[in-house]
Amino acid sequence: MSEPGLRLVSAQDPPDIDRLVGQVALGDAEAFARLYDELSSSVFGLARRVVRDPARAEDVAQEVFLEVWRKAARFDRTLGKAKTWVLTIAHRRAVDAVRRSESQRRQDNHVTPEEVSHDEPADSVIKLEEHVAVRTCLETLTDLQLESVRLAYFNGYTYNEVAVLLDKPLPTIKTRMRDGLIRLRDCLEGNR
Amino acid sequence: MSIDLHTLSGAYAVDALSPEEADEFDRHLEQCPACRDEVRELRAAAAEMGASEATPAPRALRARVLAAADQTPQLPPKVTPLEAARSRRWLTRVVGAAAAVVLLAAVAFGVHQARSPEENTASPKVAQVFHAGDAKTATLRTPRGTLLVATSQHLDRMAVDTHRLEALPGSKVYQLWTWTARSGKPASAGIVARGVHGRVMTLPRSGTTVAITVEPAGGSKAPTTKPIVRLDPDKV
Repeated sequence: MSEPGLRLVSAQDPPDIDRLVGQVALGDAEAFARLYDELSSSVFGLARRVVRDPARAEDVAQEVFLEVWRKAARFDRTLGKAKTWVLTIAHRRAVDAVRRSESQRRQDNHVTPEEVSHDEPADSVIKLEEHVAVRTCLETLTDLQLESVRLAYFNGYTYNEVAVLLDKPLPTIKTRMRDGLIRLRDCLEGNR
Repeated sequence: MSIDLHTLSGAYAVDALSPEEADEFDRHLEQCPACRDEVRELRAAAAEMGASEATPAPRALRARVLAAADQTPQLPPKVTPLEAARSRRWLTRVVGAAAAVVLLAAVAFGVHQARSPEENTASPKVAQVFHAGDAKTATLRTPRGTLLVATSQHLDRMAVDTHRLEALPGSKVYQLWTWTARSGKPASAGIVARGVHGRVMTLPRSGTTVAITVEPAGGSKAPTTKPIVRLDPDKV
């Protein structure tokens, strides 16, 4: 049956995120709660990593899930996995939050390239295998690729700002960012 | 495409472009399927990197998010920006209308009372109407909970999704009614069968009011209770 509310998800199987989003698109509040349970750690963890302040990270995470709720019907599964969709929203909102208070962030949290190259939050608990895979794959990037990607992704800098911070020409940063992500993608795919 | 623009795919995938550059790259993506594929893959890789930072969210956040979602209307599925804008305006008006509601319409209803779900298989399912390319949807508050409504001109159907309405005891059912200003007399547009959380009907003609009441099991010939919701095209 395709009527909402009638699709059963076996308790044994891990919930299919794509399918949950499809149910959320029909206004299924229970599916939304399950989706939250599946993705809240990822969304909150990413938001906290980017905005740093746990209270603001909570606000960002809430905005993210409300956007997911509102726009679930517009999620197009031919354009990628639902989890990627949610984390892309999370990243954009976290970066927006950081940029809104950019000057303040720079005062609070002045970043130099030296600090960033070993940037790893001590309290980040990475247990799952897939997270180990990401760590391992990130190690295959060159230092400059890794720094470029991390400064942009986790610190919310534009590639222009990254070029200034790392004192490199703009085209260099642009290509390192892309090459680094391509290498990460290829490594993650190779691990599957 | 220019090589220069193409190399921005990485920065674009991690939201590291200025708003102007991102707009320019968006326009470029519309004409470059290969670039779209690349951005999609790079975003997926970036998302895995983001997910590797997973940290349990504070316990209280869950209740806050679920409560906020309960108060937040959802957007209908949309294809073109033009349709999306039109639909949002429509949705805003609908949700803004006080006690309950407002709908549009076309064509006489052809739904027979108490038709079994099996007999409905020829007509589009509730979900199909909600997912139709031209679907317009509304989330409506009623005294019995939230009702989701979708209409599709293309499918010539209207669907109600009742799974967020209160469950009724076995002796009661939700029944749909339609009437026109001219007749003024509600005619049954079917009951929501037990175990089914919605109903599809032919898109009612403009000027038709749609209402839902709670009736004894099996349905009634005329409404015996006050409607929990009325959908009135004239108030759109």
